[in-house]
Amino acid sequence: MEQNNSLPPFPQGIASPQGAMTPGLPLFSPMMPYGTGLTPQPVQNSLSLLEEQQRQQQQQQQQVSQQQGGIVGASGQTPQLYHSQAVTTTTALPGNTPLSSTLLSPMTPVPATPESSGIVPQLQNIVSTVNLGCKLDLKTIALRARNAEYNPKRFAAVIMRIREPRTTALIFSSGKMVCTGAKSEEQSRLAARKYARVVQKLGFPAKFLDFKIQNMVGSCDVKFPIRLEGLVLAHQQFSSYEPELFPGLIYRMIKPRIVLLIFVSGKVVLTGAKVRGEIYEAFENIYPILRGFRKAT
Amino acid sequence: MESGAVSLYERAYSHPSFIQVSLQKKEVLGGCCVLSTCRQHNWPVAMCTINSLLEAEPMLMGVVYQDLVKALDLQPPPTASLTDMLESYCYGYKLAPGEVPDVFAETPEQLVQRSAALVELAADVWLVTGRHPLPILMACVYVAWQSLKPKDRMKHSLQKFCQIARLPKDACGACKETPLRRVRELRDVLCKLGRELPWMRGGAVEPKTVATLVEDILKHQKSLLLKAMRSYEEEVEQEVREAAESRQDDVLSSTESLLAGQLSGRDQGPVTPAQDVPPARQPKSGESMLEASGGSNKTTEESAPPAGEEHWGRRHLFLPPCARNVKRRREESPGPHVTGEEEISDSEIESYIRSAEEIRSYVEFQKKMTEN
Repeated sequence: MEQNNSLPPFPQGIASPQGAMTPGLPLFSPMMPYGTGLTPQPVQNSLSLLEEQQRQQQQQQQQVSQQQGGIVGASGQTPQLYHSQAVTTTTALPGNTPLSSTLLSPMTPVPATPESSGIVPQLQNIVSTVNLGCKLDLKTIALRARNAEYNPKRFAAVIMRIREPRTTALIFSSGKMVCTGAKSEEQSRLAARKYARVVQKLGFPAKFLDFKIQNMVGSCDVKFPIRLEGLVLAHQQFSSYEPELFPGLIYRMIKPRIVLLIFVSGKVVLTGAKVRGEIYEAFENIYPILRGFRKAT
Repeated sequence: MESGAVSLYERAYSHPSFIQVSLQKKEVLGGCCVLSTCRQHNWPVAMCTINSLLEAEPMLMGVVYQDLVKALDLQPPPTASLTDMLESYCYGYKLAPGEVPDVFAETPEQLVQRSAALVELAADVWLVTGRHPLPILMACVYVAWQSLKPKDRMKHSLQKFCQIARLPKDACGACKETPLRRVRELRDVLCKLGRELPWMRGGAVEPKTVATLVEDILKHQKSLLLKAMRSYEEEVEQEVREAAESRQDDVLSSTESLLAGQLSGRDQGPVTPAQDVPPARQPKSGESMLEASGGSNKTTEESAPPAGEEHWGRRHLFLPPCARNVKRRREESPGPHVTGEEEISDSEIESYIRSAEEIRSYVEFQKKMTEN
């Protein structure tokens, strides 16, 4: 088991009185000085700001521990990123001795080389658009096509479906079409071509112009639970977490421009990509952060 | 704070996003401005609380709040933690001495203290993250109240407790079942920890009577958590070992029976395959019984889920319930590998087009429907 359950992660080394506060209080202020406005950079190229800060703190605390006689602290722990950084802001707490703050120092060394997560997000949905290049009579299409539904009072487009690839298309009278439900870019293109062929067979001079992937959605499972309350405090600029409205945390990554829905169960949904590489890149960016908020009970 | 909320409302009201909205939305907008101002001043208040005061739809409040944040480019602090909200929440319960009979009475400070410990425990064991705050607060306050005088209070249900405390009917939002579920989950966790108390000697702890042990459990919470997790890990490892051993035994026994069958087959001449081969699979002509047995072994092995495929949560005692109660979804195949430029057969396209007769029938049917 990767999670270390031998000691509770926090508060480590401090007797927790009844009714002790959990992190989430203003005591534990957000640590990440993301004043640059950039999202965590991919760790492949260089140490992220996060890791740089961790390294600096480690160095500082090693100096402190040497002064105090080399106190090692709770070894074998994997203190959480949020937690370790929180300590530096809470040394003024009553009862907090320098010893106990050292005990809470980051013990897991920052890896010298970045590790890939080993998890590949699966593409779940591709949304694409194409211009059929001619005006369409939606009533005729709805009448003559088996796989079409049209209710102009509800929605001003024909909804058409095909079996392979299993997709749905919205066909508008302007000749523009939206194709959804494909699991890959190639499937989306093939499906859009099939819809265009159906419209052609119905007697319209349909073309296949300006096919474009508009959105890609991927999902994966990091296989550990995530402390969303800690994540939203640490990454306030990018995160929105309203459990009364939605159970997941909405993380708006800037580079790449992807929105991630992060759930306590460890499931992650990534959306907003135009190419699949953006999904993979976004996940590789977020994975080390999520590992920092992985907490064994 | 009041002036802050008013000025925020004035800004929002005159914003293009909110000028031409319905009166109901404008009322909700006022509530959202109050919520945003409270958060900026670290005043712990739940969205549900404001919602219940406005008697508005929770969904509408959520939509308006998000529109407000976006339109005015607000940077609201994150939602207040449960422990912050607890004190003001507890004061909403009319349980002070003098308000209710002594057997039910509890000072707010004691109630807050015990409830805060339970909230902390609930947060530690993943009962809080990603969930509405009020039901879990209600569950913690209820269990805390019971545990302060368990003998007299254990028999009272959550509904009775709400009546005693004179809580408003919509105290926890639309769904009445949610606080009950949270109570069950919290009691389940307390039972798991209670079992580890040395004086329980590993005996079962019932959810209905766990209130008597809450004080001891909270006192030794950290060590009980560790103990419970260690015991669970040992149990799981034991199960895995036993499963591996039983699989090995199955393989050995089927190999032995196969060899015995082969030997007796050689001695006694041709024997009907059905007598010697496991019923799962009959050997085809030219196929040895060893191969058939190997196939059936594979079937036996495949029927028990291999260790690698078991859910990762199996090894953790405490998990978010949504991670523990995973519904096994049907694996959707990613679809055939295509290039996007394949030839499209006419027959396939024609299968999507109605014949002339179908069109006639459809038109007639539509006429009849409109006439009726």
